[in-house]
Amino acid sequence: MTSLAFTLNGKAVELDVDPSTPLLWVIRDELAMTGTKFGCGMGLCGACTVHLNGNPIRSCSFPVQGAVGQAITTIEGLVDEQGGLHPVQEAWIEHNVPQCGYCQSGQIMSAVALLESNPQPSDADIDAAMSGNICRCGTYSKIRAAIHAAAAGVQHYDPQANKAEVAS
Amino acid sequence: MSIRRRRFIQGSAAVGGSLVLGVNLTGCGPTPLPHAASADLQPNAFLQLSPDGQITLQLHKSEMGQGTYTGMATMAAEELNMPPSMLHIEQAQFHPDFIDPDFYVMLTGGSSSIRTSFEPLRKAAASLAYLLRSAAAEQAGVDIATVMLRDGNVYIGDLEVKPASLIDRARQQELPEEVPLKAARDYRFIGKHNARLDARAKVTGQADFGLDAQYPGALSAVLVRCPHFGGSLKSFDASAALASPGVEQVLEVDGAVAVLAGNYWQARQAANKISVEWNKGPLAGVSSRALRAQRHELAKTEEGKQVEEVGEASAAVGERFEAFYDVPLLAHATMEPMNALAVASDDGIEIWSGMQGVQLALDAVERATGIERSRIRLHNHFLGGGFGRRIQNDYVVEAARIAQLSGKPVRLVWSREDDTRHDFYRPDATALMAATIDGDSISSMQIKAVAPSIFGQFLPLMTRSLLPRWLPSGIHDGIGDMAAGSDPSASEGLIHTPYNFAYKRSNYVMQDVSAPLGYWRSVGHSQNAFFMEGFIDELAHQTNKNPLDFRLANMDPESRHFAVLSKAAELADWGNPPAGQYQGLAVHESFGSVVAEVVNVSADGGRIRVHKVTCVVDCGQVINPDIVVGQMQSGINFGLTAALKGEITLEDGAVQQSNFHDYQLLRINESPEIDVHILPSTNPPSGVGEPGTPPVAPALANAIFAATGQRLRELPLRLS
Ligand code: FES
Ligand code: FES
Repeated sequence: MTSLAFTLNGKAVELDVDPSTPLLWVIRDELAMTGTKFGCGMGLCGACTVHLNGNPIRSCSFPVQGAVGQAITTIEGLVDEQGGLHPVQEAWIEHNVPQCGYCQSGQIMSAVALLESNPQPSDADIDAAMSGNICRCGTYSKIRAAIHAAAAGVQHYDPQANKAEVAS
Repeated sequence: MSIRRRRFIQGSAAVGGSLVLGVNLTGCGPTPLPHAASADLQPNAFLQLSPDGQITLQLHKSEMGQGTYTGMATMAAEELNMPPSMLHIEQAQFHPDFIDPDFYVMLTGGSSSIRTSFEPLRKAAASLAYLLRSAAAEQAGVDIATVMLRDGNVYIGDLEVKPASLIDRARQQELPEEVPLKAARDYRFIGKHNARLDARAKVTGQADFGLDAQYPGALSAVLVRCPHFGGSLKSFDASAALASPGVEQVLEVDGAVAVLAGNYWQARQAANKISVEWNKGPLAGVSSRALRAQRHELAKTEEGKQVEEVGEASAAVGERFEAFYDVPLLAHATMEPMNALAVASDDGIEIWSGMQGVQLALDAVERATGIERSRIRLHNHFLGGGFGRRIQNDYVVEAARIAQLSGKPVRLVWSREDDTRHDFYRPDATALMAATIDGDSISSMQIKAVAPSIFGQFLPLMTRSLLPRWLPSGIHDGIGDMAAGSDPSASEGLIHTPYNFAYKRSNYVMQDVSAPLGYWRSVGHSQNAFFMEGFIDELAHQTNKNPLDFRLANMDPESRHFAVLSKAAELADWGNPPAGQYQGLAVHESFGSVVAEVVNVSADGGRIRVHKVTCVVDCGQVINPDIVVGQMQSGINFGLTAALKGEITLEDGAVQQSNFHDYQLLRINESPEIDVHILPSTNPPSGVGEPGTPPVAPALANAIFAATGQRLRELPLRLS
């Protein structure tokens, strides 16, 4: 065991843990923060996506020693101090994206990172940036729509905005 | 009070009826209401009003993505005449009133939740609303007709009364024989409300899945299981594992080896250091290839059981045309691997997990642990995907046994590899599809489906919950065997088809060697729609007809199939795809709903690319339109995964795949534009979670035929 220190959602963290432990299990099991999910443990599904200095990484395959002295952000860290949601989260709600919801922390972390680097992504850009995140519920159409909406600056949740209706 | 309650139970669920097998149900006597609180007004198991004014809905169905959390709230809120978001929603514990009339146990599956709750849940809410209005009327000395409930308050004219102030008086009110329900034209939320009530929790990481349950000091457990189905533990050496960092205990649990450690990573690392020897068991030497060959042989040599015959065999005139169709085993691959947290104590056992079948899990834990059910407490959670996998409760039982035997609180977590290799799979199945062609028309269709039986494997689990407990275990297996020869899920979608051929016959031949099987999104329809709608397409081409015209010409023009298919063809601009693209279509009824899908595909350089799917659904009265849209998209992507990628294979009785590199799921760059249209309907609600899946594989195969001339009769689809 070694004492390791890094920043998690803006707060300093220090803990004794085997430095080869994947960051995911440090976050989930040692720190009991459960928003970041476990899907495959092999970097194949993206459920465990968090940010390292703003860049998306797969925390299941990232030894915690790589986080030492760095800034880690998880889904919990997207919400501001007043409880306000990130525009991507707002867009996700507005478009009813989540189904089972299990993949969505990872999807949102990938989408936030995409929009930081590319504020107006095309469908092809979205495919490229998001193809590491599997959604078994197949919410891809809504993910695409929500990313475009977030890019267009939709910031506020309007329950009337969901316009699906029974066609005639 | 008790009389009214009994009336409600009779009106709401099929308890006290008899099972298909002719066995009376037992054990449905008065059970305390869930979360009963003496200060609350609780006229039924579904709803309660607390003195703080909060109305709580007991969610008796599991939310696994299909939207039942929002759907149930919408239906209850309609009769309470308040926005669904005002309800407080709790995951329900087992109660007899929550028994599903289709399954005779409390279970979420079969796309039945909205359909079977539409009446009873609205009645439950209407009863609460009535009691409050009646109490207010009595208190004010006015006619009940002048009292209304709106947005959480009771109004007598302009006078506002807080419902909580009426609790005592409401308890004394009589309910009429039939509590009136709102007319459809007065709906404020049903058919209109779209926002998912679980969305905020799910985008902020706050939604509680089974894996997120916490208990002070809980250890992480992983289990090393025999990779060969039905095999057993011969010996193991855990000395290296015991020396591994963080390990607290290694123990044998019912033929598997459990490793308990401080965190998951430590447990997994240690488990990798255990050397184990297994007895391979009854499936040693069995491979998927051999099982497929056996099914083809059985189709040629066995008659099996006739499950449908329409018309006279003598009508089957003309030339015989036949083809074999095949599908492999499939895993569910829910995003959240199986898991459960269990704590055993002198008081009994407490378990937190995501389950589709709370009651079955309760019974299974009782049997496995010997702990009486009154001392077992199960907490359900959001499910990170179900698709039928979490109807089984093996993972709940495992956690319970590890906790019981180790005496420690444990969180059992399956790896993705465990999840892929120890599933209850969609059966591998074969159909010999045959028709007689008389000139340019089809005179008969004769089908022989060959598959192992899910029902035969699953029924013993059900009957253990349904039948008296003193029955010897052999009886349950016997019932399973009896039922297996006529497994309804093996034939669903092959029979009662909309096609009016002069003679139709369908037989089912059971294959008795099998991997563990389970219900997989749309069950038998998942393969049978592919068999049926692929073969129908072949018949259209055999008789030189346009696949759309051929289908419409052979079905009742007044049918829902005709309407749905016609609309899909119109919206997809059937016959005029964009340059370089080709179209295929299929229509299929499942779980009471009819869905037609048109797939636009290109196949340049041997690479199949799905560009667009147009989907039209008739699912009766819609509760939440945007959730229906989401479920159709979801079901289509699920079906496309099976059509393009999904294949579990056995070698030596063990699954060869392990993780998402060799059991691949559709990704966003492969997922098409999906255009969903809902046909308006005044029929009661029918299924939504599953019916989107069956038509897409055949529609895609038919489009590939249009693009390449290759008729692909086996999933996953592979161009030669
Ligand atoms: S859990 Fe990390 S990529 Fe799947
Ligand atoms: S919402 Fe269920 S896996 Fe994506």
